Amino acid sequence: MTLRPEYLPERLALISDIQAAEYISAGLLEGREDVPSIALNKAAETLPDDDGRLRLDRVRDLIDDAMTTFRDERPTAADAWLAPRLHETLRLTRREAAEKGFWTFVALGVAPDYVVWRHLSEPKADDAHGRVARDRFIGPHSKQTFARLWWAAELFRDGPDYQPAVVACGNQDMLNSALRLDVIDHRPTALALVKLMERGTVRTGREVNALTSAVNAAAATLMYDVIAPDVERDGEALRDWIAGAGSALPSPRNHLPEGPEEERASPEGVEKLVDHFAELFADAQVRGRTSGGSD
Amino acid sequence: MRVYPYPRPNGAVTARVTAVRLRGPGDAREQLDAKGCSVVERVVALGMAERHDWQSARLVLTATVPAREIEAKGDWTDIAVVAVLTEGATNARTVARLFPGPQGGKDWTGEIELDRDDHLDRASLAVHVVATVGGVEGRIIGSTDQDQEWMIDLTADAPVRDRELDVSKVSFARGGDRLRSFQGAPWVLDTAGRMPAVRLNSDFEGLVALVESQGSTMKSIMREVLLAQMRSDVWAAVFHTAIGDLEIEDDGTPLFPPDWRGAVLREMLPDIVPGRPEDDALREVHTRRTGEGGWADLQPRIQYAAARRAEIPQALTDAFRDIERLDQETNA
Repeated sequence: MTLRPEYLPERLALISDIQAAEYISAGLLEGREDVPSIALNKAAETLPDDDGRLRLDRVRDLIDDAMTTFRDERPTAADAWLAPRLHETLRLTRREAAEKGFWTFVALGVAPDYVVWRHLSEPKADDAHGRVARDRFIGPHSKQTFARLWWAAELFRDGPDYQPAVVACGNQDMLNSALRLDVIDHRPTALALVKLMERGTVRTGREVNALTSAVNAAAATLMYDVIAPDVERDGEALRDWIAGAGSALPSPRNHLPEGPEEERASPEGVEKLVDHFAELFADAQVRGRTSGGSD
Repeated sequence: MRVYPYPRPNGAVTARVTAVRLRGPGDAREQLDAKGCSVVERVVALGMAERHDWQSARLVLTATVPAREIEAKGDWTDIAVVAVLTEGATNARTVARLFPGPQGGKDWTGEIELDRDDHLDRASLAVHVVATVGGVEGRIIGSTDQDQEWMIDLTADAPVRDRELDVSKVSFARGGDRLRSFQGAPWVLDTAGRMPAVRLNSDFEGLVALVESQGSTMKSIMREVLLAQMRSDVWAAVFHTAIGDLEIEDDGTPLFPPDWRGAVLREMLPDIVPGRPEDDALREVHTRRTGEGGWADLQPRIQYAAARRAEIPQALTDAFRDIERLDQETNA
């Protein structure tokens, strides 16, 4: 199996797609090879020195703990644990998190062993090796190993409260399908989807997918932002949280960390959408059944 | 045309950014120069801000809605007009309500806040009219057309929609392993970053001087042709980059990328698969590329679309005309 990099620099960095492509070998994607860490770091682009958020050891320690904690479970179970803690450790703005080269560096330069551990597929009968999809190293935010966890925590948290993100990450279908949809960029919508999971209105992967596609389709004619307006975001809370990164303790392992002190979404608004989505889901179920489940 | 299961007014919804106020640390304020806002291009260039440490921009806008039609037909109640600011790259979505002005609800005005930490490159600003229709709350009954949306550019220092080619010069011999492997080439394209870029090889004698020259007629003729060729290379390369890196839905539907790659595809597809809606065209090109056949047949169309975007025919025509004139001058 791919091992943790031999050489770990002190600070996180960026690496461009083109540079990174040279280090994504077929052997790495089969979990048989390591990343040549010294060469990789030579090609990487360093980030400003004075930023306390960019300490690499904090991220590496967290990932080590995730692999230890979930050693005997399915690796998918680690998502819900790691997402909020990674988000709280890094304290990025969305502008920073949109930088793909940052996530590529985390995957190749910090924890290629985690990427392989988490995403190596079961070997197929005719093939001795499982494989990791390339987009788990370099990919869109809904696919890349660490970007998807960070964005899930960002889009599903309710201000400082990461609990909804934990619920969303606990279901691979929610994580995979919702992250690609623009509707969850409206926070009360994201939180209402989580509420429907918590209440057991939707349980299976198939139900989650039916719900998210019904909600997404309805958004073509309905403005959820008007039905359930979100509170105005105040950038100050996030800036304070980022400024506190230098003196912050490592993310707590046994209880949930806290995110920036942003105002939470109005519970009434979320409830209104919960009712709305429950109806949409019921309709979709009925239609699915009458059309022979082809929906 | 889309069909909606409820009545919608036919009149257009338009928007206009009328002022931009920036705010920085310690409550510092600045009004963006009026030149930073183009009504013709519908672009706001926040790179024109004098302070570089601004944290948020408040856009003041006016939307015009078909108020008379809405009132006359009476199908709609609880009318709300909202401005929506989004950027795919950061999943940012900000919504603000606008309020009716004195002219009987035709013009609605309001302000929307853009937080710099939430945006990367370019945000788009749309306006939607929302109403209760047939007992259903929150129906979208009108929106600015996609080509009428405003674009808020976080870094540009002029309010224009089309971007200039990013050309930089670098020594390939001393530019690291990757560039060294291209020694001898006059230029290479970099399509991996946030924006496509051209790297000129400064070791290639005469090239940089030519590209930067303002001088003699002969040089400037050659420069224009060369630049058109580079632009065409860039368009073809970004098209291939974009089409090779699509996200695919579970049912096999390819999605338009949220960033400039999506914009490139939308712009070029009509020339590559003419006469088809953009979603169909994207699916067609994607299936051809992934092995259903016909990828090779598509190459001339891709090249054609790239050359058109790069204005190669025009550059050549101009060059021929200038050479002709030069010849006449020499003969005279």
